[in-house]
Amino acid sequence: MLSLTLQALFSGVLAGGYYAMVAVGLALVFGTMRIINLAHGELVLLAAYVAYAAESQYGLNPVMAIPFALVIVGASAALVYALLSRIDQDREINSLILTFGLGIILTNAVLMIWAADIHSTTAPWFQESVVVADTLFAMRSEVVFFVGGLVLMAGVHGWLNHSWQGRAVRALSSNRNAAKLMGVNPRRTEILSFLVAALLATFAGIAIYTGKTIFPSLGHVMTVKAFIITVLAGMGSIPGVLIGAVMIGCIESLTVTYVSASLQELAGMILFLVVLFVMPSGLFGGRKAIAR
Amino acid sequence: MLTLDGVQVSFGGVSALKGVSMTVAAGETVGLVGPNGAGKTTLFNVISGIVRPTAGNITFRGQSVLKAPEWKRARMGIGRSFQIARPLHHCTVRENLIVAQRFGAGRIDHQRIDEILDLLKLGHKADRDAVSELALTEHKALEVGKALATDPHLLLLDEVLAGLETNGKRAFMEQLALVRDRFNLAMVVIEHDIPTISALCPRVVVLNFGEIIAEGPPAAVFRNPEVVRSYTGEAAA
Repeated sequence: MLSLTLQALFSGVLAGGYYAMVAVGLALVFGTMRIINLAHGELVLLAAYVAYAAESQYGLNPVMAIPFALVIVGASAALVYALLSRIDQDREINSLILTFGLGIILTNAVLMIWAADIHSTTAPWFQESVVVADTLFAMRSEVVFFVGGLVLMAGVHGWLNHSWQGRAVRALSSNRNAAKLMGVNPRRTEILSFLVAALLATFAGIAIYTGKTIFPSLGHVMTVKAFIITVLAGMGSIPGVLIGAVMIGCIESLTVTYVSASLQELAGMILFLVVLFVMPSGLFGGRKAIAR
Repeated sequence: MLTLDGVQVSFGGVSALKGVSMTVAAGETVGLVGPNGAGKTTLFNVISGIVRPTAGNITFRGQSVLKAPEWKRARMGIGRSFQIARPLHHCTVRENLIVAQRFGAGRIDHQRIDEILDLLKLGHKADRDAVSELALTEHKALEVGKALATDPHLLLLDEVLAGLETNGKRAFMEQLALVRDRFNLAMVVIEHDIPTISALCPRVVVLNFGEIIAEGPPAAVFRNPEVVRSYTGEAAA
């Protein structure tokens, strides 16, 4: 019983790693533009399918597909930003409608090109079992991308706290008008946030393709999950988002282990509602901030 | 230095500014007064670029700034403080100033940052954990400090003395005068307190319902019957 619980928690922590990569991207864009990019999960989807196409059609290792995925996902993120930046009235509601529509278009484009089948990597290296601390099992992909994701998020955290562009992101996130009157160029900062979000989405997409299964509606699932995690954490800090993601991963994993796999999504949603009922600003909320 | 020529602003069907024309010379301190809703903050928003005028022109140091977004105007030398302090939370006082200097002035000059901190009496709080710990006066000083860090030629101060008690106002006003003289700034100050504005500003402009109804030396302006009626709500003597 104890080892089963520990194994479930370990799997949950690993899943939390890639959930966090998606959620940090969503939070970053929300912080700088005050909009919720409902097409963010579709960027993850796109990265996953680029890896699938590269492997199935050209025999490329999914990791080798990362540069191609980065270019395609980065260009898509830039396109989403270009369309969003043209909205000059009622930006909050119009951006929701626009990104929701773009998400549907991207999902259907994937469906049209690759059909509705479920895919996963065929490279055995990623799916081989590794043993951690003698008793805990995981796929190699899960461990590799969990560690890689942590390094990536630490890099983003460092960028936000120690680079000038990162400080510009935090300034815009803290107070948009005040930041602009301090000389911060909002467009340059916003596009940079979108590209960093695209970078995280790309790694998350490749992680999911190599460690889980992909299907066209995955984008929508990831957007909802990232939104839940971001709100759960309090729309703010990267460490907070990581903890929120791990909590969601663990509750889902425990539900799959002890209750039913069909209730996995419901468990995360219940945790989300309970936390918001008890702590309306989220676990680490209170002030709008990115990083720290 | 700053020239407003027939500036109009409308929000829907409401005219917030109706053809405002005024000038501010280099090194001059101008008081901007008027009752609530007169259009004072809107005028600041127009000068700093937050609100686009529906008609009229604004030139700053000989250049029209109408098409410049607010961040470019900050880099051109228009500094602005807000009535309600808007610091970068989770940053120290010094970090707030450094970010403003890096983006507004395009350089880092620690000596100037130290000088600003000293002039505004924020030196002892400069490296504390977060600005959320500051007292009201210190928040006000930080607002001014952030604007100063951008190396402005013109400083727009929106009710920066509001909420302070009499002695606090006097002390803060003295700091503002020191800052103005040290950095050779032009300043436009929105303030409701007549003795304060009279002491700080040799010239006062009075706005009412989006129009300039009087301007000149404070002593003369505050005796103007129309100003008395509009600004204080009292009948003319």
